[in-house]
Amino acid sequence: MAELKLLFKHAHDPAYATLKGYQATGGYEALRKAVKGERQAVIDEVKKSGLRGRGGAGFPTWIKWNGIAKDKKGPHYVVCNADEGEPGTFKDKQLMEQTPFLLIEGMTIAGFATQADVGYIYIRGEFVDAARALRKAIDEAYKAGLLGKNILGSGWDYDLHIHLGAGSYECGEESALMSSLMGERGMPRLKFPHAPLPTVAGLWERPTVINNVETYACAPFIIQNGGDWYATMGASTKNSRGTKIFSVSGHVNKPGNYEIEFGTSLMELLEMAGGMKGGKLKACVPGGSSVPIIDAEACEKAIIGYEEMADVKSMVGSGGCMFLNEHTCIVNFIWRTALFYANESCGKCTPCREGTKWMFQILDRIRRGGGREDDIQTLLDICSQIDGRSFCGLGDAAAWPVAAALRVFPQEFEYFIKNGRSMVESEPALAMLP
Amino acid sequence: MAVASNPETVEILINDIPVQVPKGELIVESVKRLGLEIPIFCYHPRMKPVGMCRMCLVEVGFKQPDGTVRKMPKPQAGCTLPADANMVVYTDSEMVHRDRKGVLEFLLVNHPLDCPICDRGGECPLQNNTLFYGPSTSRFTELKRHAAKAFPLSQYVTLDLERCIQCGRCVRFTEEISGDAELAFRFRGASMQPSTFELRDFGSKFSGNVIEICPVGALTNSKYRFRARPWDLETKPGICTVCSNGCNIWFDYRVQQMVRINGRANDAINEEWTCDKGKFGHEFYNSNERLTQPLMRQGGSIGPANWTDVYAEILKHFAEAGNAAAGIAGPVASCESYTLFKEMFAGFGSTSIDHRLYSNPVSNEIANAEKSSISSLESAKTILVFGNSLADDLPIIFLRVRKAWFKYGAKVIVAYSGANEVESFADVSLRYKPGTEEAVAKALSEAMNGALSAGVEAETGVAPSEYLRAAELLKGSGAPIISSAGLQNLKAGKEICASLQALAATINGRFNLYALGANEEGARQAGIVPGKGGKSVGDILKACKKGEIKALWILNSDLLNEYPDRKLVNEALESVEYLVYQGWEKNETTAYASVVVPMTAPAEEDGTYVNVDGTTQHFAPILKAREEARPAWRVFSDVMSRMNSKELIFSAAEIRERLAGATR
Repeated sequence: MAELKLLFKHAHDPAYATLKGYQATGGYEALRKAVKGERQAVIDEVKKSGLRGRGGAGFPTWIKWNGIAKDKKGPHYVVCNADEGEPGTFKDKQLMEQTPFLLIEGMTIAGFATQADVGYIYIRGEFVDAARALRKAIDEAYKAGLLGKNILGSGWDYDLHIHLGAGSYECGEESALMSSLMGERGMPRLKFPHAPLPTVAGLWERPTVINNVETYACAPFIIQNGGDWYATMGASTKNSRGTKIFSVSGHVNKPGNYEIEFGTSLMELLEMAGGMKGGKLKACVPGGSSVPIIDAEACEKAIIGYEEMADVKSMVGSGGCMFLNEHTCIVNFIWRTALFYANESCGKCTPCREGTKWMFQILDRIRRGGGREDDIQTLLDICSQIDGRSFCGLGDAAAWPVAAALRVFPQEFEYFIKNGRSMVESEPALAMLP
Repeated sequence: MAVASNPETVEILINDIPVQVPKGELIVESVKRLGLEIPIFCYHPRMKPVGMCRMCLVEVGFKQPDGTVRKMPKPQAGCTLPADANMVVYTDSEMVHRDRKGVLEFLLVNHPLDCPICDRGGECPLQNNTLFYGPSTSRFTELKRHAAKAFPLSQYVTLDLERCIQCGRCVRFTEEISGDAELAFRFRGASMQPSTFELRDFGSKFSGNVIEICPVGALTNSKYRFRARPWDLETKPGICTVCSNGCNIWFDYRVQQMVRINGRANDAINEEWTCDKGKFGHEFYNSNERLTQPLMRQGGSIGPANWTDVYAEILKHFAEAGNAAAGIAGPVASCESYTLFKEMFAGFGSTSIDHRLYSNPVSNEIANAEKSSISSLESAKTILVFGNSLADDLPIIFLRVRKAWFKYGAKVIVAYSGANEVESFADVSLRYKPGTEEAVAKALSEAMNGALSAGVEAETGVAPSEYLRAAELLKGSGAPIISSAGLQNLKAGKEICASLQALAATINGRFNLYALGANEEGARQAGIVPGKGGKSVGDILKACKKGEIKALWILNSDLLNEYPDRKLVNEALESVEYLVYQGWEKNETTAYASVVVPMTAPAEEDGTYVNVDGTTQHFAPILKAREEARPAWRVFSDVMSRMNSKELIFSAAEIRERLAGATR
């Protein structure tokens, strides 16, 4: 299968980032259609579409939207998670910079469906360009009466704000994001069943829908063309519908964002990205640094879909797909990944706080030639002591890549420990050094 | 916060044992019903659960309609999980044991394990949990985190950051209980550390509590650091006598030296907290200035004397003086002593005794009115704090008022002339011009009728709208009015109290003029007030000045520093012919004494104390009396037996029995 450009169809056109250009290609038709009908109809359409969260977890979007109280007793909120911090992922950045109105319209539709009063876009602190593009677009939308009071004569008011984070990976975790948005320390909060769902008590303890940029950007297409139409894409997969943007990076000839239909194979994605550069394919991290690494053999079999990727013991994740060629030292690769998570652990819970640092310390010692035989077992134990025991997903995300690398490439670690140097005949992955 | 007040109960299975618990109760509390325990670090029953340390992980499942149990894929934190119908909890499974080992191994990775020199060693939750649930060895061979070993957060609290396990109890205490939010976490991940803002002084008035709730030896008591090992200490229950709240404390001592004070749980009074004044204010027990033997003035100088001579001398002067004798009792003596003090003066033929060290004491009617109990304050919907800085004057009452607001959403109104802690959460703050309390109290009453007199803003500095807002909240609210006895030092003290009492009547509430001294209530109950024709403290002092009072007995009060009119005290002490000072510590007032009678301090004698809300508490002797110091009641008994051959009293219990018989 080739690229299937839905969200990115007009991304190359600078005019698409202006309201005029956006509307010229059918923009805001979806919102017009939505506000004329029932709120529930929007949610039903999203349900039919089979849209699942594009941030990494793949949670059905309609369940979140439908979970908001129908009889409104106070403010409702819509929050967009634009804190794209997963290493290897850079799709939201492009979406916000080149197609800001898709996000704004998507969030307005979500706001309408959930009777929200205010929407917040929590943007990663480094994404200044994206924030500027959104600012401009939001201002235009306000002027055109597409945000603010009485949107499109529906009698419904909706404000949209942007908020820049301060550069913490943890703030991409939805509950930590809400804490950060409320001015608290960016630490995760208790989750269901320990506390109510965000749809019941989220931002400021009020019903809140929180989705990824890409998820919201899908909404206008679903409303405009119908959920059934959307669900035709990716029909070959078990339960993944529509398109997904993959940020392809690593040793490929044409790195960049590629929008594909679910059901495309991983090798087709590699082909789109111009194939491998500098050597044969050795491994791939298909969905951002936290998903388990897979070897070339598994890559051949991998079909992109939430359930299908599990067959090769990996995940779609956020779509940060990194292809690694044969000259990549997996030990060094994982060492760098572990350093990232040790730096980004928020410190709230014991397993993640202490475990991520310990893992890095061991990998660092191995990398300096001081590895010991029992290190592999210790690393595996640490991973199992973090995985599922930490407060939020960051701990799991830190443990999975290490555990997977040890499972898929044990010989590389054994060699490094025994000989004090990398098995791969090349300079250590210098490009990946901090 | 720990136990939900949900009347609905659900049946859950804990380790296959069915148990009925209130729906929503935290599992960590539910297991206690079966006598089981889930190990914890960050969880504290009096604070909101956070689930940070992961020590309390348990296996959880739900019983399905077909009878099978579907386990949740991940272990769950027992301290944050609310009990629900069909819940199945395992606290003893193989997975749970493995997880506990894992968490403890992680916690010890960066812990220095300097237990042999740690203050906490021997009473340390980390030590205990490691011993019961942890691995016996560590696989960690990398470099541990290092930090300053003794970082002074304040004069009371020293932080040893290396030992910290980042449980956040201290941070949450300052946010939830004391409300000053003095502590917060800085940095993240393995570098995360509790700290004050910009490393400023940890200025909380309740800072000592974080030492006790710290589950490791990270927050240490600067006064106790390295002074003892816990197992060398003897611990006995006691009552704090630094202020009138009557907090329950643990008294730790060693070789007859007071070593440290810890909070003792009593839900009716201090829950389990202490204020810094109380926790660090018991140094006087070990003071070098303690009075240890009777002293008598002969010629110009004062020197040691024996009891026989002292008694003879006292008796000579006081019996001769008759109605020209007077007694002033300070607020820190036992009820037993107060009782005999009054009897002794009756024997001298004098009615001039008083305990009210205020310039304008209020009528007995107001002083004797029943007070709201401390625990009842937390269920008040509205509270008015009038004319005092609550956190300074009545720290434990302050914590209750804050709890009423923080946990139960009470509306709080504060009227005070200066900045104070209550303002931070008060709905209405009437910060008036100093000295205008009378006008403020009057204006509040007027505002209840919606008609404020003109010029109230110019006079008091508070806008009429604020009075009206306060009145709106107070109307029919039944709000307790919280004032301290310090109001009686104001010029218009009597009038202020009268109008506050009238205000209380209109809002259906209660006016509480809370005492400030440790046993001020006890002195009042024992009747240490001027009898018929007797003089109050102010009049006694004036009479001393004029030479009308020949012999004055001061019971344990540094009058020069405790009575508001220092000039008057000074003149009185210089003029009075004969002065007996009875107390446990040398101070400015003792310098004027003709006779100094050494007295035992509260922990050194058997005695009863009545706290601010009228709770009577008994304090058993803990330390030995210093040399020749005697309980005050014994001195009174000795004097009386010499005066009119009254029978000697040998124990405080005798006095208590007699009192009980009188009321029976």
